[in-house]
Amino acid sequence: MSSFDHYLQRILIAAAAEARAEGSATTEAHHVLLAIAGDGSPSLAAAGLDHAAVAAALDREFARSLAAAGVRVDGGLPRATPLSDGSPQLGATAKAALERGFALVQRKRDCRPGHVLLGVLLAPVGTVPRALELAGVDRAGLAEDVRREIAGGGDDR
Amino acid sequence: MSVEISASGEVADRLAAVGALRRLADRLEDAAVEEAMRSGWGWPQVAEALGVTRQAVYKKHAKRLIAAGVALRRRLG
Repeated sequence: MSSFDHYLQRILIAAAAEARAEGSATTEAHHVLLAIAGDGSPSLAAAGLDHAAVAAALDREFARSLAAAGVRVDGGLPRATPLSDGSPQLGATAKAALERGFALVQRKRDCRPGHVLLGVLLAPVGTVPRALELAGVDRAGLAEDVRREIAGGGDDR
Repeated sequence: MSVEISASGEVADRLAAVGALRRLADRLEDAAVEEAMRSGWGWPQVAEALGVTRQAVYKKHAKRLIAAGVALRRRLG
């Protein structure tokens, strides 16, 4: 396996763990973003988006979206014991993000970790763009940073 | 938790609300089913309370609850 394959596998395993912890039956794009932030991404870090910041932004998006239906959750949600093993299926939004990222390169061997992040960041609509907007993140600027990181070879993990 | 239905607002917000409500319902279901089974409810009662079949509720929750060490009553039927 190439180092990119190892990276992708590590991120998808971490993303599946995020999904399980949330009680989600599928791994979605926002779980992939959490995994990338937790793994450490220079571009995300430069934008102030560590794992905790991404998690906080996603919580706000959840609350905001519920509020659009007139639902307010006070004092947090009741907690359930998460599934301890087994892998959630890759969900529609995570698949779309990966496809978007892979479509940015001509040949598979040109894939870099940044392309996975770009695939997540470039989603036109959905949970991730909404969460980043609520967090005041300049998504286009962040995507440019990631592209520069890839082009500069600083992304050859 | 308080609920007041608002059908106005941006369509993007309303679409996002649908996804968020599904996630909320799933999380409430996970927690409530676990609580019920821990306090001795059986699958048929939980299923009827949720308005789904016993098979559906068992398939969705049994593995997680067994792994969590919840003492389950013998599955009836």
